[in-house]
Amino acid sequence: MIKTEDYIKNPLKEKEVERKKAERSERFSTLLAHLGLVLLTLVWLYPIVWIILHSFREEYRDGIFVGIVVSHYIPKGFGFENFIRLFTTTLFPRWFLNTLFVATASFILSTMMTLSVAYVMSKIKFKQRKLFLNLAIILGLFPGFMSMIAIYYILKSLGLTETLFALILVYSAGSGLGFYVAKGFFDIIPNSLIESARLDGATNATIFTKIVLPISKPIIIYTALLAFTGPWMDFIFARVILGETNRQIHTVAVGLYYMVHGSQYADGNQFTMFAAGSLVVAIPIVTLFLAMQRYYIEGVTAGAVKG
Amino acid sequence: MKRKLMLLVMLAVTLFIALGCSRSNPLVIWVGAEVQEFYQEKMEEYIEYYNANNDEPFPFVVEVRAADTGSAAATFLDDMDAGPDILTVAHDNLGRLIAGAGAIRPVQSQALLSQIESQNPETFLNVITANVGGTEYVFGIPYEAQSLILYYNKKYLTEEDVQTWEGIWSVAQEQGKRSLSITGTDGFNNSFLVLSSVVETGERIVRLYEDGVLENTEFVTDYMVSVLKWGQRFFTSPNGARQASDSGWSADLSTETSLTVIGGAWHFNEARASLGNNLGIAVLPQFTLTEDDVYGDVQAGTVMQSGTFTDTKMFVMNRSSDKLDYLEDILLFLTHKDVQEQSFVRNSTLPAYKNALQEFDAMQADDIRTQLAVAQIAMFEHGIPQPFGREARFNVFYYQRQAPDRILSILRNTDNRFNTDAAIVTEMIAIERIWLGHRD
Amino acid sequence: MDKKNNFIVETLQRFGNAFVRFAQAIGRLFKGFIARFKDGSTGTKVAHLIMGFGNLTHKQYIKGALFFVLQIGFLLIFMLNPEVNDTPIGFKALQNFITLGTEEGDLFGRLADNSMLMLLFGVVTFGLIVVFLAAYTANIKSSYASDLMVREGKKPLTFKEDLAELLDSRFHVLLITPTIIGVLTFTLLPTIFMIFIAFTDFDREVVPGLNLFNWVGFENFAQIFTGSGEIANRFLPVLSWTITWAFFATFSCYIGGILLALLINKRTVRFKKLWRTVFILTIALPQFISLLAMQQILSEHGPVNAMLMNIGILDEPFAFLGQARTATTARISVLTINLWIGVPYTMLMTSGILMNVPKDTYEAAQIDGATKFQAFRNITVPYIIFITTPYLITSFIGNITSFNIIFLLTGGDPNVPGSVAGQTDLLVTWLYSLTIEEGDVNIGSVIAIFTFIITASATLLSYRRSKAYKEEDTFQ
Repeated sequence: MIKTEDYIKNPLKEKEVERKKAERSERFSTLLAHLGLVLLTLVWLYPIVWIILHSFREEYRDGIFVGIVVSHYIPKGFGFENFIRLFTTTLFPRWFLNTLFVATASFILSTMMTLSVAYVMSKIKFKQRKLFLNLAIILGLFPGFMSMIAIYYILKSLGLTETLFALILVYSAGSGLGFYVAKGFFDIIPNSLIESARLDGATNATIFTKIVLPISKPIIIYTALLAFTGPWMDFIFARVILGETNRQIHTVAVGLYYMVHGSQYADGNQFTMFAAGSLVVAIPIVTLFLAMQRYYIEGVTAGAVKG
Repeated sequence: MKRKLMLLVMLAVTLFIALGCSRSNPLVIWVGAEVQEFYQEKMEEYIEYYNANNDEPFPFVVEVRAADTGSAAATFLDDMDAGPDILTVAHDNLGRLIAGAGAIRPVQSQALLSQIESQNPETFLNVITANVGGTEYVFGIPYEAQSLILYYNKKYLTEEDVQTWEGIWSVAQEQGKRSLSITGTDGFNNSFLVLSSVVETGERIVRLYEDGVLENTEFVTDYMVSVLKWGQRFFTSPNGARQASDSGWSADLSTETSLTVIGGAWHFNEARASLGNNLGIAVLPQFTLTEDDVYGDVQAGTVMQSGTFTDTKMFVMNRSSDKLDYLEDILLFLTHKDVQEQSFVRNSTLPAYKNALQEFDAMQADDIRTQLAVAQIAMFEHGIPQPFGREARFNVFYYQRQAPDRILSILRNTDNRFNTDAAIVTEMIAIERIWLGHRD
Repeated sequence: MDKKNNFIVETLQRFGNAFVRFAQAIGRLFKGFIARFKDGSTGTKVAHLIMGFGNLTHKQYIKGALFFVLQIGFLLIFMLNPEVNDTPIGFKALQNFITLGTEEGDLFGRLADNSMLMLLFGVVTFGLIVVFLAAYTANIKSSYASDLMVREGKKPLTFKEDLAELLDSRFHVLLITPTIIGVLTFTLLPTIFMIFIAFTDFDREVVPGLNLFNWVGFENFAQIFTGSGEIANRFLPVLSWTITWAFFATFSCYIGGILLALLINKRTVRFKKLWRTVFILTIALPQFISLLAMQQILSEHGPVNAMLMNIGILDEPFAFLGQARTATTARISVLTINLWIGVPYTMLMTSGILMNVPKDTYEAAQIDGATKFQAFRNITVPYIIFITTPYLITSFIGNITSFNIIFLLTGGDPNVPGSVAGQTDLLVTWLYSLTIEEGDVNIGSVIAIFTFIITASATLLSYRRSKAYKEEDTFQ
């Protein structure tokens, strides 16, 4: 009896011990993983928190406001002085509205153009399709800065430089070339869906607007998100096209960049104001990104796999 | 419903775009960012005056815009048609502006010419004229001046200490600090050594395009070798001079890493925020050549005075402006010495007017802003206006063909390449050849 | 070796084929012309001379009128040479394109010719000619198509019907026309223009409108390889650093991203969404903000140096970026900061892929008694590599042209005495400072062309790869 019991129990016990061992090591590795993640999070948030802290920094030396970079991470005084100065002594409110305008207009145009091209390249077979695809790839490889000077003079010949409209044109005109991700998405839509609609007598236009677009919400949002946030981040093209002296029509990126860098506008004592401006710009964009996270991830993944 | 909404949005966007693109044809003036508001107000005053004295009202809207006066000439030349009617440039850009077919127009009204002559010091008159096709023309109307001065930390340095670099250096040694941060690496910032002069004779040790002639240039002199050797000791000493850290020179001051900074009036706000009430302002110091430095005929113990470029900012007129008839009258008003004085009171700009120190009431005060102005004016004795205005090439040769980098690498003794006199002289010959326009 | 040869031969063959096909296409074009002329109605024949005439005879009034207006407009432009910014477009522009201007101007009154606009408008005029020829052909084809319809006893399409076609059988035309117009004016035209600039002496001493520049042939290209100046000295170092940078930046972010994705997606890790959100935050933050902040944080008096000195790791501040003592230090720093920017992207991307690792393969492996690590090494890793190869190549290309990181962190420094290009300058940042800051537009263009050649070769390679992969059904 005992022998049999031993025979039966021992393996069980062994298994039990093994399971516990595995559980312990599992728990240990989980703990380690969490620790690692906390550490990485700290590293990734370090600069972001620094900017936030400094946008609220309010320090004085002998009654003079100190806005230059300092070596202590946590400010010695907090307040809203930077924001007050940002909105009352600089053109920041104006820049913000300019950017909002440019971003809105160019995201509507870009999204329409990108999706149109992507749909054509994916679902409509026509003679020059391959030629267009190859041309698009080749053109996309030329460094954009080089054409910047030429673009400036083309716009000028059209009488458009130094206007926000010119900036919208530049941001949207070439946007159709970035159709790959959306094309990848449309490729997945089964052709049978389109063919059956055609058998029902639908025109190509109806198929696109009534059948394809309604099921393409993720890719529409992804494209729109990127097109909308672009103008908030670009400080190179905008600077050349809007001109250095037209501060009235600058975008936030150009205005803030000039606040701390390049030329005599740059006043090191405005660094904390730059931080405050950064925060005001970052909040809507980051919120948008986080709200649309799901679609953004979908787009990134699709783009990566399709190449 | 949805469609209507879409339409409404589209309509709003179109309207928005149309609004964003509406343009007019204003009279545009570029001035430095710090005085933009001031000159906008002055122009309103001018228009009021104009309207009161003329039958027709002033026909344009005037826009005074902030421009970086250092790069305004380049920006303007990139696209003259889009440029302003009047712009502010540093005088040394004159050469670029009149090169080729000439982007700016010479002054023609007698009234303006005589005001320029009566208000400005001799040195400025030399650099605002240029010879085109055998005739001398006046192109610029000076209204501001600037030179480099010393910002120092009063907590460590007395007025006595800042008389000489050696005085500053020894305090820095005691305190374990740096003597000096230079704010940039270009030929403007190392001019405190390159433009230095012998105190006893007042003789400047460099010759730079004198009288607008390329060949009137000499860099390789015994004095210059000695000064660069002195500079090398100063820049390689742990307590000597350094390039400003990548945190910015103001951080160097506020963290008390460096005791002094060489800067212009445009550095004032930042310097003040860095040091508060400890901010001191002085004329650039003197220094003494030692046994270790002297080269050739130079005597040990020779006292040298640091130099600077003493520049003027001036208005020039865009040749392709369609409002030329109105410009000279406006300039007569904007550059008048009374306006210069008001600008000094309001914006602490340094007037170009030659008797400002004696005649302006505001110059008699004893606050820090007046000290700034007085020190700058004092530096005019130890400086020369940048002599690059006569020809566009001079500016390129002096600033752009890497000569400043090479001077700096002698001073820093980069890779120990300049341990011997011979090595320094060889490099100096190379620099002189760049200045003379050789491309090798 | 063999493979390489094959590749070259293949590429040459492909070019050869393309050339033959191009010649054939032109042949067909002419044959088509002759056939249509012979076979077409009188209206079609006249349309060869007067555009829109054929359509008019078929009562397609609006279409015909449009073609006619197009022809008149083109001829007017070509003959009258309208001036924009004092520079003509049209026949004169073609002459100007060759001379690049002759009038030198003077101080009072006469303006100099604007060589740059002349070059630009020359290209524009060529473009106009191409567009006109396309319209001309379309005019004949349209008339001929109507001829055929009449012959078949049908009525030619009315303008309304033509428009309706745009929503159906020619819907693609409607959809891509705006993009084509945009790309032609704002991408293709500037690109061609800049390629031409590489063959001129448009350098920092030229101000368009004040003095002229001229054609110099291949001089600028020669200067890079045989010259003794700064451009020649710095080209190879910058090129090799660009490629090194692209290689390390791509793979470090790739590996880092995959590891991070594995960590977050570990079965037992909690708050997955929270962790992911943290990293998305850094993607959403505009780079000019995060990178400028990084630059300040890592600077001499920044908080990182202060912290390291407080702990006692450093005695005196350490320069990480533009003022680093050695090039290697600065390069390692920018590569490290690039991880901060790049890892979240790869993490997001591979997260999606990791969830899709084929489960049945895993189960089969476990039944076979494979350990977790073995399963990971033999299944997960090859799967990820297989599926992300296209991404690796695009990200390599992206890194070759990555501008913000270098521009905002170091500005290309540490400085090399005697050169515009510093130790961390990439080809793109170098060409930016050459063209925008220094005004040497011609040399900048040459560098842009080289950058293009590099990215184009990488793309060509990636095409081959993806083709090779397409032929296989599985990834093992």
